[in-house]
Amino acid sequence: MLQQHHQQQQHHHLQSAITAAPPPSATTSTPPSSTTGEAPPKQVALAMDRLGQAARLIADIRLGADRLLEALFVASQPHQSSKPLHLFRQEDESMRQHLQDLRTVGKQLEESGVLNESLRSRSNSWGLHMPLVCPDGAVVAYAWKRQLAGQAGASAVDRTRLALKAFTDQKRRFFPHLDDEEDGEGTDTVSKKHRNLPALAEDNQDNLSDCKTLSDVLTNLEKEIPNLKVSTYERLDWLKRASSLPASANDNTMEAPKHNFHSTSILRPAPQNVASMDKVAVIELFFPSIFRAVVSLHPAGSTDPDSVAFFSPDEGGSYMHSRGSSVYHVFRQITEHATVALQYFLGIRSKTALYSLLHWICSYQTLFTKVCNKCGRLLAMDRQSALILPPVHRPYRTLSVSKQSLSQSISSTLDQGSNAPEAYHIGCFSDNM
Amino acid sequence: MSVVYCHIFRRLISYNPYRKKSTTMPLKRVFFWQPNAGSTVNSQILNEVSQCVESINGVKEGRWKATLTFYKPMLRDQALSAEFPREFIGISLPEQPNKYYFVLRFNKIVLESDSSIQLIMEKLQSYKSRVALNFEGFQYQLGDFQLRVGKVVPSHSENLRGIVMEVEYLPISSLEKSKQIMEEFFDIWQDAISKRSLPGRFIHIEPDFSDYGLADHYTSQHTAVQYTHVTSQLIASVQAVQTGRN
Repeated sequence: MLQQHHQQQQHHHLQSAITAAPPPSATTSTPPSSTTGEAPPKQVALAMDRLGQAARLIADIRLGADRLLEALFVASQPHQSSKPLHLFRQEDESMRQHLQDLRTVGKQLEESGVLNESLRSRSNSWGLHMPLVCPDGAVVAYAWKRQLAGQAGASAVDRTRLALKAFTDQKRRFFPHLDDEEDGEGTDTVSKKHRNLPALAEDNQDNLSDCKTLSDVLTNLEKEIPNLKVSTYERLDWLKRASSLPASANDNTMEAPKHNFHSTSILRPAPQNVASMDKVAVIELFFPSIFRAVVSLHPAGSTDPDSVAFFSPDEGGSYMHSRGSSVYHVFRQITEHATVALQYFLGIRSKTALYSLLHWICSYQTLFTKVCNKCGRLLAMDRQSALILPPVHRPYRTLSVSKQSLSQSISSTLDQGSNAPEAYHIGCFSDNM
Repeated sequence: MSVVYCHIFRRLISYNPYRKKSTTMPLKRVFFWQPNAGSTVNSQILNEVSQCVESINGVKEGRWKATLTFYKPMLRDQALSAEFPREFIGISLPEQPNKYYFVLRFNKIVLESDSSIQLIMEKLQSYKSRVALNFEGFQYQLGDFQLRVGKVVPSHSENLRGIVMEVEYLPISSLEKSKQIMEEFFDIWQDAISKRSLPGRFIHIEPDFSDYGLADHYTSQHTAVQYTHVTSQLIASVQAVQTGRN
């Protein structure tokens, strides 16, 4: 089988030798500078021809590289004759020839103005332009032809610029914390604030070194935040539950108790808890009558969240999962904001990402009662979406997750004191928060 | 005789303490138009209100209609009428096409039954409709809010007797949690409507739902109670205008 392969290679080699032959003769026959003394149509035709040659040469070079690698591979096998060495030498020769030819063609193209726009402005009396090779490799044969084709002269450069702009916008929207490092023009106070933040985050992370396992995190959460119902599920179990929602307020007592995360539950023996924790992939945070948040963990049983979504407490259906979207605008907006916050927690505070995320989610229990810190109102018309919404933004960068400050902030939330977690409308929120 | 009727009604309304409670609905406030002293309600005001809704980005969706009927018992002996409830009201709501609601305002009772009860009442000739009102108009969507603006007309006439407005907040169903939201929304609404200098204003009087045995989670029974109260307010204000004239 290997021998057949060798024969095929030699056949290919012969073919390439034949195709390699004409270009050298072609290049030597034409004069080096062809822009003078020839009518524009011929110049254009020649340029197109050479571009075609260049493309063929490039293809040959690619094939040659493959064959070189093949020869090397065969040579590394035991019990080989000098055949691989012979092949290698042949390929080496033909490759060098191809590359030399390519250089020649390239020089000619450059001289004729195809690879740069130097001749573009110099349109001749025929109204023709030299073909242009755009940076993305597209060949523009005739600029006017392309215009006719409706592309209005927008080259690949423009398209790339647009694509880059779109990408930058998305990046700014979903990963705002990545822009901080690029903002070298910020004022002193702003840059100081940003420098201090990583230090803060580090301190806080040290305080939570005992919250390493999933059950630790959840137990902690339950202790600190009253009014919250935490439940854990395996991934398929969650889908079943989502489809059976909404359960009316009266039916809560009839829910399968095994899914409720109760660290002090007498009904379940402790070893069973530990076993099921390994497969937990979905955490449900339910604040009755306010909202339901779904957090997905990947891999199951770890403390690495990978997505989060918010829903109405009365919603139900199989679309309710951590990558799903609520039918209500307010929860859709919060979900979008939460996705950004999650990226921040994963990027800057990866050790305590889950803990931070869950506590940040709990700050939304005041969604329908806490007024915006900037405008002082609960509802405001959002200009961009023309919707009336409560403050759906909660800052996540300055979220302090040390235990002391959290219990303080939770108790003050209930008092609506000045230490309470802040809330902002979409329009009142600025990126520095 | 009345005992027989009660017995039949009980069966029809399928009284069962273990039945599932009413499905939770998004919460809603019903407002009615209170004209200023000396002015009356007219269709121009209705147009202005509709335009105001559209000015705060309300998107017109479709029509809606609710009905409210005052029943009186068909009795051979009129002397027995004192034994029967003073105001026996039946309400149909557009969001529950298969249901019919009964409210006994002075006894503080609200019941949800199947809509076929109306046919049965007619066949039994037990209760007759004394006055029937239609609430009808257009429905608007404003993001997570849904507004309904409607005129109040007696069922067989075109006389505009009043204007009602329903404000519904779809994401949640808890009366307590949504209080602030509803109040602030009404403030936003007031800001918008006061620019039009209309001779009157919308009023909402929250009935005491616990009197009727209703819980914090909003249901269509709450809506039925609100409509009952709104209607009595409307009647009172119309009567006040009439006595004013006299």
